[in-house]
Amino acid sequence: MDRRRELSQRWSWIIIEANHFYNSPLASAFAQMQKQTACDVFHVSSVSVNHINLSSSLTPVPSTFFCDRLFAAILKGTVNDATSFPSPSKSHGSYHWAFERVLSAALVPVTVGAAVSTGSAYPIMDGILAISLIIHSHIGFDSCLVDYLHPRKFKLVGPLAQWLLKIATGLSVWGVYEFNTNDIGLTELVRRMWTA
Amino acid sequence: MATSIVRQSLFRAVAKPSMLRASAPGLMLAQRRFVQTESMTPAENISYLNSQRQHRPNSPHATIYQPQLTWYLSILNRITGVALSGPLYVAAMAYLLHPVIPAIDSAHLISIVQDLPTWLKGSIKLALAVPFTFHSFNGLRHLGWDVGKALTIKGVYTTGYAVLAATAVSSIYLAFFV
Amino acid sequence: MFRPSASSALRSIPSSSRLVASSAPSASRAFHATASASLATPAESKSAQVKEFKIYRWNPDTPSEKPKLQSYKVDLSQCGPMMLDALIKIKNELDPTLTFRRSCREGICGSCAMNIDGVNTLACLCRIDKDTNKDSKVYPLPHMYIVKDLVPDLTHFYKQYKSIEPFLKNDNPPAQGEFLQTQEDRKKLDGMYECILCACCSTSCPSYWWNQDQYLGPAVLMQAYRWMADSRDSYGAERKEKMQNTMSLYRCHTIFNCSRTCPKGLNPAMAIAKMKLEMATE
Repeated sequence: MDRRRELSQRWSWIIIEANHFYNSPLASAFAQMQKQTACDVFHVSSVSVNHINLSSSLTPVPSTFFCDRLFAAILKGTVNDATSFPSPSKSHGSYHWAFERVLSAALVPVTVGAAVSTGSAYPIMDGILAISLIIHSHIGFDSCLVDYLHPRKFKLVGPLAQWLLKIATGLSVWGVYEFNTNDIGLTELVRRMWTA
Repeated sequence: MATSIVRQSLFRAVAKPSMLRASAPGLMLAQRRFVQTESMTPAENISYLNSQRQHRPNSPHATIYQPQLTWYLSILNRITGVALSGPLYVAAMAYLLHPVIPAIDSAHLISIVQDLPTWLKGSIKLALAVPFTFHSFNGLRHLGWDVGKALTIKGVYTTGYAVLAATAVSSIYLAFFV
Repeated sequence: MFRPSASSALRSIPSSSRLVASSAPSASRAFHATASASLATPAESKSAQVKEFKIYRWNPDTPSEKPKLQSYKVDLSQCGPMMLDALIKIKNELDPTLTFRRSCREGICGSCAMNIDGVNTLACLCRIDKDTNKDSKVYPLPHMYIVKDLVPDLTHFYKQYKSIEPFLKNDNPPAQGEFLQTQEDRKKLDGMYECILCACCSTSCPSYWWNQDQYLGPAVLMQAYRWMADSRDSYGAERKEKMQNTMSLYRCHTIFNCSRTCPKGLNPAMAIAKMKLEMATE
């Protein structure tokens, strides 16, 4: 106990000296010193620093967009178990990806061709453009649904949205076919409305 | 206040483990454990961890992430795509009602557009031309990446600004000069 | 006793607490020396540059309390140049409860990955913006479950890394010696093997935000490609076969946030684009 008392006395003496400075005009400078000398004695001063100029206040964190905590919080297996892969299927993988790119690339000459020709003069071309645009749109919408409304997260809305998209795409193909065969066709419609 | 600081400081100073170890080895013998532990099976352990995970907050993301050309153009690509495909779907499906409502046909639609004031026509054309040109040019940018071109940050930014410039010029041309 | 004119040489005394404590027999001298030295500092110190740091706080001991931004003010003239220096200073001197991971302080361990002023980076490689009029906001890596304060739960990220079998697989090892590789083949691994798995890129990716339970994310995908591209590995086809589904790889929409944010200057988006192209053309 003697050693301890001795130690306390030694410490308190330094602390008192330190607080003498804390109350002095050198206070802010004193507050700056302790990062250069991080030894034990200057834990003393860090208490004072809190009181001097280091305020802390609380502000709320911006809330997140989507409430998607429902699925990911619980992990399957232990930390040492790898995650698993869905069963492989090229039609959902590389074939799908390649088809999407080829279709997008093909839309460039088809659109340019439609712009420089007249739809009524080249009805096949007009039909290809319309169907390609709808398939391209379908893939895009489907990608949105997978990203934002996946059935594994949205048990009811997810599958519903996917079915609605399929129905809408089917109806659109039908509608465009009717329009291109009974009316002036997509290219001609856009041209006339644009120059109306 | 000074006293309380002294006392607090004294406590911290004396309680410093390194000081105790070095200066008062005898004190180590008198130390007691204040924390109790209990053993759990691995299964209990993981269910306890999972119960904790239930309460964890999700850190903020889109609201705090720096606006960058990368993800802003990406989401813009999606928004413009939906803005073009949506009307296409609606128009195509609406034409299916033509047998029921004969007014839904090209002649009526064109005459409606013809009767619009010029400023409104221009605005509508611009509102369609911007998504169309942006989505087209940015689509070309994506196709370039897909075949391995411009896959660097410099490439991303040069092509990104080029797409924005091309969009501005071509959409104004399409809206007001065609 | 405490004279402002104390020699600056005294300030170079090793300042770790361990060191001072271990010289306990002469402890009183050590105290005197350091105390007077530090009190001498004011006369030479630069003018204060107080900058405000707003740091994300959440405590698992009070889980019902919503996460908050807590503000700390630090004098930059008395702080190291990096964000990690400021965080350590705050933890040492202002608030010992502030919790974050850090280890190497030189950008090789990946522990201190966090979102600083809106960008994912390593705190130890990120300079403090000297503009004291603007505050600095520090968040944990985005869209991750938070263990405490700036510490995200990376368990799932590591489980995903394990799933791509990040090791050499070859059923026909050379009869003697080691696998040999041409210089060109070795070059293909440059820019990929350097990844330290800090998760900055994955957590900057919006696709990973929305679908991280099934989409592997840029960091893991680049490592997957690192092994596909390795001439010594003979399981490339099997590795690619695993990616043949909607979620694991093809949620990548070439957004490029990953390459933009990588604190090591790597390019995960390029690796993923190459993987997709190879898978489509093979």
